[in-house]
Amino acid sequence: MTAITDTTDVVVRDDAGARRRRITRMVSSYGIMLLFAAIYVGPLLILIFVSMKTLPEFFADPTGLPESFQFANFADAWELANFPRFLLNSLIYTVVGTTLFVIMSVFVAFPIARGYVKGAGALLTLYVVALFLPPALIPQFQLILNLGMFNTRQGYILLFLVNPIALIIMVNYIKSIPRELDESAAVDGCGYVRFVWSILIPLIRPAIATVTVIHAINIWNELILANVYLTNEDLFPITKGLIVFEGVYGSDWPKLAAAVLMLMLPMLVLFLFLQRYIISGLTSGAVKG
Amino acid sequence: MAVGQQSLFGSGLKRWIPWLLLAPGLFFYFLIGVGPSMATAIYSLTDATGIRGLPINWVGFDNYDEFLFQGARSRDNLDALQRTLIFMVLVTSIQFGLGLVMALLVNQKLRGRMIFRTLFFIPVILGVAVQGLMWKLVLRPGGGPMDSIFGWFGLESQFLNGENAFYWVLVVQIWANAGFTMVIFLAGLQTIPADLYEAAAVDGARGWKLFKNVTWPQLTPAVNTNFLLNIVGSLQAWQLFLVLTGYKNGTQVLGYVVYAEAFGGTGTGSFRQGYAAAASIVLFLLVLILGMAANFVVSRRERKYMG
Repeated sequence: MTAITDTTDVVVRDDAGARRRRITRMVSSYGIMLLFAAIYVGPLLILIFVSMKTLPEFFADPTGLPESFQFANFADAWELANFPRFLLNSLIYTVVGTTLFVIMSVFVAFPIARGYVKGAGALLTLYVVALFLPPALIPQFQLILNLGMFNTRQGYILLFLVNPIALIIMVNYIKSIPRELDESAAVDGCGYVRFVWSILIPLIRPAIATVTVIHAINIWNELILANVYLTNEDLFPITKGLIVFEGVYGSDWPKLAAAVLMLMLPMLVLFLFLQRYIISGLTSGAVKG
Repeated sequence: MAVGQQSLFGSGLKRWIPWLLLAPGLFFYFLIGVGPSMATAIYSLTDATGIRGLPINWVGFDNYDEFLFQGARSRDNLDALQRTLIFMVLVTSIQFGLGLVMALLVNQKLRGRMIFRTLFFIPVILGVAVQGLMWKLVLRPGGGPMDSIFGWFGLESQFLNGENAFYWVLVVQIWANAGFTMVIFLAGLQTIPADLYEAAAVDGARGWKLFKNVTWPQLTPAVNTNFLLNIVGSLQAWQLFLVLTGYKNGTQVLGYVVYAEAFGGTGTGSFRQGYAAAASIVLFLLVLILGMAANFVVSRRERKYMG
């Protein structure tokens, strides 16, 4: 009898200890997370505050809250930074580049995933290896230059028709679709194009969403290639436009902050709606060993 | 299946349809992806410039010789190489640690964890222009937010204009990418079966012991992925330097040297693309050697923990 009592006693004491530990752990977890959150949201909040200040107000107090909520800086930056044009350019590059890339990559990924073309394994390896090769920058530049596509929209979009990571994501996803589907469709006399277009594509919608978003974000955020290939201001995407704006209005932080916020807004909205796809795509294959 | 897989969707001419549709994607991949990537090695042996119509001559290994051994310039280059390694070691270790801590925190069943996850990941999708300009504002000397915080402690710094600019860029680099490391760890944590924890808890393990005996070994694939990605990624990263500091001696890393030499960013206005290609190959060899070393460590770990 004593033994049993003892045990219960231990369990009860342990429970109280466990609860105390749990609470300590919860409080400290929230503490650390809030600290991190401050570091992550801080710069964004400051950007928002500054974008609502007048220039004299900013010089008097660069860090604190704005005295009133006013959006004049957004309107000013929109005009001064040539935003409508840059925004349109970015939109063209992103939409055209992403659409072309995604359609082409489905037709590359499907036969590779299934082994419907000879050397499928070797082709896949070629895409994996590319992640470690030196950047294509210099020969690519020579190529575009000699094709006469320097400083053209077509030349700039051409650079975005390649994305090995996105292709690998697509191949991995297609591998999870049962092969019997192909076979029964083929037996029913369904052609290759019709199969890919009206049966496969609806089935791999999550992978297409992931690849679309990842690729679109890449194009939208690209700065280096725009620096290298575009010198005509009419063709600048918004990232490059923003850096040019910084060069001219670098000390007018309220306007610059407004411009930065306008640049990030579309991607932020896209991300908040589609973050599930983005994160699952980026981590797919990363933890399977 | 005697007909073979190739002819699943028809025979005769129809057999070529998959190839025909695969061709455009593959063509562009060779033309502007893997082709130019490999051609970098060839360009590194020439005196190519960025000017159209100018003849290109073979110069053998002169570019490498000049880059590594000739004059004051090569000493700058070796400094940049050293700086690249420092950047790699610090970014990899700090980002790895922070990413792991953040993942462990937001993996707990706490209210609001999704909000924290989203917050920590957001910088990853912003791109260097936004990341850079945001921090340029935060790090504005003479009355910026960070300057105010430094003021509370009686400290002073010129931040991106001062001699520690390199380390401030490093901070921004980690801020921008730790969320990516976090989501990979998080994906790994979520594959660990709950009964492993229960079994260990019955044995009386908790806290650090639980982490050491269950979480860490079970996390092996994510640990390895992050280790490799961080090493390769930080060796190749330089774009934030462009936005935050510009090309200045004493701050640039190897990737920036390549870009600046190739596209007239050094301030001299010259486009030395052969020379820059050689620098690019030097960086590639660094990535290759360190990547392979890391891979060696990683596969030993895998054998130890995963059998």
